Amino acid sequence: MSAIQVEVQGLSKSFFDQARGEINAVREVDFECRSGEIFGLLGANGAGKTTTLRMISTVLQPSNGTARVLGHDVVREPVEVRRNLGFYSASTALYPRLTARETLTLFARVNKYPAERTRSRVEEMIERFGLGDYAGARIEKLSTGMKQKVSIARTVVHDPPVLIFDEPTVGLDVLNALDLQTGIQELRDEGKTILFSTHIMSEAERLCDRIAIIDKGRIRATGDLEGLRAATSQHYLEDIFVHYVTSNDTSV
Amino acid sequence: MDWTTIRLLYLSELRSALRERSVLINGILIPLLMYPLMMWVMFSAILFVTARTESFASRVEIAGLPAEHRGLLERLDEEGRVEVAEVDAPPATTAAAYRAGIEERLRASELDAALIFEATEDGPPGNAAVSLLSDGSSDQSQTARGRLERALSAERSDWLDRIAEQHGLEGAEWQVFEVESGNLATGVEMGQFLMGMMIPLFFVIMIANGCLYPAIDSTAGERERNTWETTTTLATRRIHIVAAKYLYVATMGTVAGALNAAAMVVSFRSFLGPLLARLGDGDGSGFAFELPPRSLPVLLLTAVLLGALIGAAMMILAAFARTFKEGQSMVTPLYLLVIFPVVVLNDPSLEFTPPLAAIPVVNVVLLLRQAIAGNLLWLQLGLTLLSNAAAIVGCLWLASRVLRVEEVATGSFEGNLFQFLRRQLRPAGGKA
Repeated sequence: MSAIQVEVQGLSKSFFDQARGEINAVREVDFECRSGEIFGLLGANGAGKTTTLRMISTVLQPSNGTARVLGHDVVREPVEVRRNLGFYSASTALYPRLTARETLTLFARVNKYPAERTRSRVEEMIERFGLGDYAGARIEKLSTGMKQKVSIARTVVHDPPVLIFDEPTVGLDVLNALDLQTGIQELRDEGKTILFSTHIMSEAERLCDRIAIIDKGRIRATGDLEGLRAATSQHYLEDIFVHYVTSNDTSV
Repeated sequence: MDWTTIRLLYLSELRSALRERSVLINGILIPLLMYPLMMWVMFSAILFVTARTESFASRVEIAGLPAEHRGLLERLDEEGRVEVAEVDAPPATTAAAYRAGIEERLRASELDAALIFEATEDGPPGNAAVSLLSDGSSDQSQTARGRLERALSAERSDWLDRIAEQHGLEGAEWQVFEVESGNLATGVEMGQFLMGMMIPLFFVIMIANGCLYPAIDSTAGERERNTWETTTTLATRRIHIVAAKYLYVATMGTVAGALNAAAMVVSFRSFLGPLLARLGDGDGSGFAFELPPRSLPVLLLTAVLLGALIGAAMMILAAFARTFKEGQSMVTPLYLLVIFPVVVLNDPSLEFTPPLAAIPVVNVVLLLRQAIAGNLLWLQLGLTLLSNAAAIVGCLWLASRVLRVEEVATGSFEGNLFQFLRRQLRPAGGKA
């Protein structure tokens, strides 16, 4: 069995809103991810997926519980966590006035990729993601598809063992979304641990090795697709999802 | 502190900023080009108006010119561009009608000026009462008046000399007293006084201007572009990210101030000096615009101090904004607050006393004024450095407190600095 790379225990997050009072966005979430797997967080909008991933990536601090990335605690060792992590989400845009090459170099250097190998690593990323013709162009001049490629390249340029993709296909057309999914599968095949959140069932079905269904900040079920099917007697993920969010079943 | 990372982020901010048109315009082009351009336009406009005025031919009528003063015509001829129509003095019965006619012709621009001599009974031959009529609302008429006054004054002075000579008197004997005026200030001192009044004022304005856009762009602008979260996922401590941004804002403010001061000195020397010489005695010896060498380190030091202080204060305010527009509305009051006392206190009679040296920003203006005038008051210099350094430390301390609050750091805090402080000062348990 492969090693546990991400370990989440009793993770909770509450916010205070002047109009609504205390909001428990994430409640005692537990899961773990192993190397070489895509672990999917499947939930409706507002279910707590993004908040969970933002806590793991150290953008937010947990109110309770712990999360560890390669054994590093997200509260006590945030810099170590970030060094071992690549975080991609709709709210992590690129710097519009830098070029693709400058962006990749900056992320490699600040994320402590060895300085002497940075140049070759950046060129490798440019070639891998087909950015050659646009590497010297400012990000603001690139198309959405090209920006998305640069975004993935900057997420992986420092070669982190753990990658987080928070609803990465939102706003992309079908071809770009498929392209991105293929890229994520390739990264998994290279041995990366991937945390992937989505509310699109087909995407989760196609990509994820294991899925956690999250609703109202709680994990309702965790398992591979076959296990979830067996537990709910449902074939389609959509039906499995509905089963868990409309019942109190937390059997898996 | 991880200075390698801070340097990487700082250079990245600078590179990014120098590709942004607004930063370039506000931080570099305006401080560098505004004053030379303004002064060049002013210089050209004044030269154009002067040349145009000088080219006017003045139409002048002289009535009743006494024989003793025929020299006046020669003098007007020497002035050049004066067309003189000479008429006899009108008889006393028609004098009022003649004068009314002249006034009408002046208003109708048929004539530019008129001299009416009325012989008097008293005094030596040639003694006369002279009326000089012109239209004050017309440039052409004013020019004609100036030419007539110069010629008339010279003629009068010569005539008095001739009369005195006939009575066997020397000039000094009949003039009662002679006035000889002298200005003890050298041209350099006068130039330094003028620069001391203007450079510090615009220096502060330009530093505030230089900090304004970068402070908003690097905080609220990042949130608006969704790049703030990208930055916070970098494998470095947040303090390093903030330090790099702060150094970038302070650099832009400092550079704007230094460029502006340099541009102003060049403008004074190249445009204002020649202009004042032309408008004054014409020999160019009135003003000399030279900065004393020891004012240069003071200028640089104050640019760094002000850039660091104003930059820190602006970043704290802009840290609460989620959009660029929101940032502008939060920071603009500070911009005005910085500029207002500087403008109000720009009084040449204001002494740079130790109590004033304890007021940040204001003390920088006064210190700079003294330094440009060639006076360095060491106690005030020390107090200025201390008070501004203390203000910078205070701002950075407040910034570290503000950014420790997750809501502010992630941009989900609804409100500004004052609402934040009020909430922080509220007793525990008052949240709900």
